[in-house]
Amino acid sequence: MVPWNFLYENPLSQNIISWVIFFYGVALPILLILWIIGLKGFMEITKYEKGKGFLYKMNPITKLMLSVVLMGVAAVTVWWIGAILTLGIILLYLTMNDGVRKFLYISLLTFTSIIGGMWSVAPFTPEATLELVFPDPAKYTTIWVWPSYFLFMGYEPQLTLQALIYGIQISFRITAVLSAALLLVLTTTTSDIFRMFTKLKIPQAMTFSVLVGVRTVPRIFSLLDTSVKMQFMRGLGYGKSRILYPVYYLYAGIVAIVPTIVYLFRGAKTLAISADTRGFRAYPGRTEMKTLGFCKYDYVAFGVMFLLIILAVLANVYGFGRTIPYVGY
Amino acid sequence: MSFNGIEGNINRPGEIPWEIVVVYFALALLFVFAVGKKSGGLRKFSTVDLIYIGIGAAFAVVWEFYIGSFLGRFFPSTPFISVSFWGRLIIVLVVAALVRKVGVGMLSLLIFNVLGDLFHYGFGGEPMFTIYETLTYGLFVDLVIAATGGKLFGIGIKGGKLFGSFNLMSRKEADDEDIQGKTPSIVYLLAAVEGAVIGLLWAIPDPIFYRAFFSPFTYGGYVDWGRVIFDLIAYIPGDIVIGIIAALISIRIAKAVGS
Repeated sequence: MVPWNFLYENPLSQNIISWVIFFYGVALPILLILWIIGLKGFMEITKYEKGKGFLYKMNPITKLMLSVVLMGVAAVTVWWIGAILTLGIILLYLTMNDGVRKFLYISLLTFTSIIGGMWSVAPFTPEATLELVFPDPAKYTTIWVWPSYFLFMGYEPQLTLQALIYGIQISFRITAVLSAALLLVLTTTTSDIFRMFTKLKIPQAMTFSVLVGVRTVPRIFSLLDTSVKMQFMRGLGYGKSRILYPVYYLYAGIVAIVPTIVYLFRGAKTLAISADTRGFRAYPGRTEMKTLGFCKYDYVAFGVMFLLIILAVLANVYGFGRTIPYVGY
Repeated sequence: MSFNGIEGNINRPGEIPWEIVVVYFALALLFVFAVGKKSGGLRKFSTVDLIYIGIGAAFAVVWEFYIGSFLGRFFPSTPFISVSFWGRLIIVLVVAALVRKVGVGMLSLLIFNVLGDLFHYGFGGEPMFTIYETLTYGLFVDLVIAATGGKLFGIGIKGGKLFGSFNLMSRKEADDEDIQGKTPSIVYLLAAVEGAVIGLLWAIPDPIFYRAFFSPFTYGGYVDWGRVIFDLIAYIPGDIVIGIIAALISIRIAKAVGS
């Protein structure tokens, strides 16, 4: 029994609080964290920068394979293996250029994924599923009881502590992949990604579009940031209380979206002319000045991947496989 | 064992029979090949089209995984409101309005998925998710482009003639459009209807295909049909309204970009 049980036993407070939780869930902590990262932070965590660490020297195909292997291992093993893998990958960010800052950003992003993932699973997990993880329902701690009509929206009648723990366990299967995905983008030049897709026999037209996208993602954050600052320079929120600043910031961010889209789309024609004048798509293939090779770090990575696969097999053999199913997302 | 995180469960409680899903995607693929063969496949997209698609996909990724998921926290977390998804709907429709060639919807969703994998998902569950999104959301946009004869949202209709002969606007309105660049209100109405149709179609795949088939197929679990139906009904009004708004925004952006 929790100390606040009187709140859900009284129908009025039960309804009010249930709707507040329904509407806002875990919004506030996530909001605070994303606020700390900011637009500049998102730009830094999606943009390639030159660096000297071993990740910069690896073949992009190796990095791609690594993230697929990590995904597979996290999917078929017990949740804490996923958690350890996540921690390992996050630590790799320390080897990057300006590593501590990137480490901080990716840690915060991962934390938001964990609590976001937990909340998208916990209220919807039926007791039958929970019993696979926590076999004795009599020991469950009820944290909140929803009004009966919440069942219509797929909610379980009660939210238990065990359901929240289960939600966190599920989210660790996603976080390993999320933190691995950005490794490739942050440590590989656009030209190398082009070579990688060419090696994988992806049609040139598609590769071109993907690379325009890869280059554009950090630019969007940068342009939005500039546009927001310009609006403040022109006097947005001048003389108003500092408390209202986040509201103006948000307003400026939303107002900045359409001009940013138009600015980028207008620039598309210039980019198209410059690509066409260099004979883009004049021939079916491309000639290469540099071919992608494998270095010692790639072979080490292959070894790590091999070990991870062995680990997944052993974990399954010794009963640490994924015995509980996903529900919800 | 699973393949890239996909378990391949086909007999979970409540799951849509796999035969139905296979038939849908086989028909969709046939459509893609038929259109591709008729129009010359990827060659018909000019370089600038490919750049529009790339930029659009980048915007959709930034919106869906960063800005939209952030802004979404200011709104109630219910199936009635999906800020991230709506942003993608608007951006894909803007790109579709700029390019207006059958195939742009599918190519946009394809590139969006690859970018989403590079920045977020790490190619987990692929190629299944890319095929699913390309041949549902992307295909629906292309069907509407095909139905409008490449004049999506009334963009590119000249002299008030739709399909060559049908008079869409009066002589005066057509002259106003030619001389002053003024968009007649009938074009906005037409765009709103097309946007609403696309919005309605976009409400279907997530509850029906994802929740009732791909989710149990990939991860196991069971299908709660109460939630499937509730989600479907809850998605429709918002998606239609955003589809209409997206169509109107598209007309303005197409004008501003000069497409």
